[in-house]
Amino acid sequence: MKYSMLLVFLLSGSTLFAEQANIGNVADAPKCCEKAPIKEMVLEKNNTILVSVIGQGVAPMNTTSPAQAYALAKRAAIADSYRLIAEKVKGVRVDDQDVIKNMMVKRSTVRTSVDAMIKNANIVETNFKEGLCEVEMEILLTYSQFSQ
Amino acid sequence: MRSRDGNSSYLLAIFSIVFFYSLSLQASEYLISYRYVVKDAILYNESLQISSAMKKCSGSPQESLLLSIDDNQNLQEIIKLNAQEFIDFLHKIGLNVEHKEKTINYINHSTTILTLKTTCFKVDINENFARIFPLN
Repeated sequence: MKYSMLLVFLLSGSTLFAEQANIGNVADAPKCCEKAPIKEMVLEKNNTILVSVIGQGVAPMNTTSPAQAYALAKRAAIADSYRLIAEKVKGVRVDDQDVIKNMMVKRSTVRTSVDAMIKNANIVETNFKEGLCEVEMEILLTYSQFSQ
Repeated sequence: MRSRDGNSSYLLAIFSIVFFYSLSLQASEYLISYRYVVKDAILYNESLQISSAMKKCSGSPQESLLLSIDDNQNLQEIIKLNAQEFIDFLHKIGLNVEHKEKTINYINHSTTILTLKTTCFKVDINENFARIFPLN
């Protein structure tokens, strides 16, 4: 009985010590996983910002040749790239409507829209694989463009 | 001494020369608009409208596009032969982007419209090349 009591005491003591040690480790550990706040890019005077996006487009089903499929998919991908640039530079308007009945979502509607004017965007790279075209597009934003 | 009838035909000739000369000057200005629609990542419709300007455009010429041509062709033919190059040039000038997306019960539909609003272009056509300037 004495021995069993001693064993229980020793076990509980060791686990307590281990927990304390763990707490100490957590406290001492370097803050590896803390996310630094994302710094918003601000276009300052005499400074430029390079915005790069990858737009995707798909070829229609009823194309007469692979060349036509490529040309049409590329057009769609360019439009998508323009849209992505507009979203990044100007922002997106979001309208959301949810219909809830008896504590259940009956209908969820999200409408987003972008309206912008884009000039001097450059196509950097184009890839076409299995009917999907990807266009990498860049635009250089300068302070003078916005100060007018 | 000229008769009345003689004078009127003389004046008519002068006016017609001035009139046709002014028409030939204005013929080098064109109104161009471009629009294409992409629905659900697939090109849906594309249109390029070219028309000669009926009255003189105002504005200063911007960065130009130089296209090589074989014979004396009109602008429609030149653009038809160099369509890709011309459309790339229109992209460089700047397009309006209008995008709408609708997600109903997690099913998404999107429409993107790229538009070049009707813009006046000055076109100089020579024997070997055509120079196209947007007027802004």
